[in-house]
Amino acid sequence: MMHSDPTDLIHRAQQGDQSAFEALYHGHVGRVYALCLRLTADVVQAEERTQDAFVRAWERLATFRGESAFSSWLHRLAVNEVFRVQRATRRRAQRVFTSEDPGALERADDRPDAPGVAMDLERAVAALPPGAREVFVLHDVEGYRHEEIAGLTGVAVGTSKAQLFRARRLLREALNR
Amino acid sequence: MMCPEMEVRLNEYVDGTLAARERAAVEAHLAECAGCRAAIVELRALVTAAATLPKSIPPKRDLWGDIARRLGKRERGNGKRVWRERAFWRRALAAAAVLVIALGIYRLLPPITAHYRPAGQGWVAVQADFDRASGELGRALALERHRLRPETVALLERNLEIIDAAIAESRAALARDPANAELRGLFAAAYRHKVELLRWAAHAATS
Repeated sequence: MMHSDPTDLIHRAQQGDQSAFEALYHGHVGRVYALCLRLTADVVQAEERTQDAFVRAWERLATFRGESAFSSWLHRLAVNEVFRVQRATRRRAQRVFTSEDPGALERADDRPDAPGVAMDLERAVAALPPGAREVFVLHDVEGYRHEEIAGLTGVAVGTSKAQLFRARRLLREALNR
Repeated sequence: MMCPEMEVRLNEYVDGTLAARERAAVEAHLAECAGCRAAIVELRALVTAAATLPKSIPPKRDLWGDIARRLGKRERGNGKRVWRERAFWRRALAAAAVLVIALGIYRLLPPITAHYRPAGQGWVAVQADFDRASGELGRALALERHRLRPETVALLERNLEIIDAAIAESRAALARDPANAELRGLFAAAYRHKVELLRWAAHAATS
């Protein structure tokens, strides 16, 4: 929870005030971590990408002009960090998540307050193949448009739509079991 | 069970991205197909559930310590370079402003006072000097202006507009009456204000 005016915090952080940036971190870390966690389906990776996103935000604060909300700007940095690392990782090995993936189960258990249906959905989302999961999280959870997803992930708009529909089919099947 | 060939259109129907004609065709199909009607209900429930998942999940451990350590390392690593860049800009801007003011004053002196004045250089050359200097200062400021508060930038731009209007007026008057010493003084004063303002702003942005 932030106790100061966000605009003032951003301006102070832009001037190099690390305590102001820490306040921004505390105000936004939950959303950034949730995004990274759902995109990666892995607690360790989510923590690392969250850290990367905030470090990148600190480095690029001077470029933030306030045209968009700070949170949107920060989330976009986080998504970029997730995909930057995943592109490098996928070049080395294709990682496949299954419903038995321990990271995914740990992730779902991270939220003691999550109601049963939401937790089932979280587990099912975590078990999706990476491409389908990423598009589903960005489109249906975070509200990005296919054009934006295509720009962020480097896939065609048609591919983004195909991955979304595939994700929904797999999720319906998983939730109906 | 959903008709397999309807998957794309049912998803687009749920997303609201179908054109009116296609939407009507899907609705006609839904009126006759119980499997697709059931699929639509599931799809809508899924999309609603996804959109209402908690947006914030606190990490299990505080990540700030690791982030602060990484920021600290980067600050120390970049510190000298940043300081050197800022020091360079400060020196360059100060030198440019001093040079242009000195040249302007020299060239505006009456012929009897000036020890040497190259042929063809009068107030036109002064304008060129000021134009060049204010251009250089403006470009330097453009690189660093993001360091200034938005309200400072707005005030700076308003002041520059006023000064530019004064410069344009005195320039036009001088074009009509090039020998008028008072107009030359007015022109030089307006331009000195501009250079001083730009120099101050660039200094503030790089301090």
